[in-house]
Amino acid sequence: MSLDDDIAAWAATVRLDDADAATIFQRIVATPAPLAPVSAPRLDPSWWQRYTADFTARMISSTRPVRMAAA
Amino acid sequence: MDREAEFSRLYEAHRVAVHAYLVGRTADRQSAADLLQDVFLRVWQHMESVSGMPDDQQRAWVFTVARNLSVDAHRQSLALAGTVAALAREPASQPPPASAMVLAAERVAVVGEAIRRLPEQERVTLTMAAAGEMTSAQIGAALGVPAGTVRYRLSMARHALAEALDTYDFPREKQ
Repeated sequence: MSLDDDIAAWAATVRLDDADAATIFQRIVATPAPLAPVSAPRLDPSWWQRYTADFTARMISSTRPVRMAAA
Repeated sequence: MDREAEFSRLYEAHRVAVHAYLVGRTADRQSAADLLQDVFLRVWQHMESVSGMPDDQQRAWVFTVARNLSVDAHRQSLALAGTVAALAREPASQPPPASAMVLAAERVAVVGEAIRRLPEQERVTLTMAAAGEMTSAQIGAALGVPAGTVRYRLSMARHALAEALDTYDFPREKQ
């Protein structure tokens, strides 16, 4: 018996047969697929642009009297 | 192609190679089968992202999952290693009858034990070649090593196996 024959004989004992492979396949596909991620409601990017611009304008105008007094 | 059909294609394309790889990592057929199920369950759960990948990326993704899960399983089994080793040292209660079938089974067991004792890289490579029936190029692509390295590991593994079988055969010839 050659070394190749010995290795092949051993390989036949550890190989997954088709019936076991089919059983595993069926178990897996019976598992519910994960739900698609639900996108959370979000504000339109233009809302944030307006908000930031408005906030910045308010900050600048609120500090104007102090700067004028200091001048 | 629907989800299950695409998964079936992936499963059939990679299951033999992945199982052979896991046999090499775990040195145990049943553990490898359990891990195979875990690996492809991950694939099933991530089909949306995996199905869009090119074939070589899919294979790399699957083998990365297989490697990670086998590492996790190895860590979990370390706690049991002492018990298993003690059981393995238990002597056989009865000598096996000397029929041809038993001798063949004994020889397969000797080969299996010699393969279990190989360094992990050689064991994985040999198992993928023998049980997975993969070429050196395919094994190299799956493991991320050059085909020449695969051939070297196979050569080393075969050399070690030949030595193990020599020590098994010679005492029998002297009787």
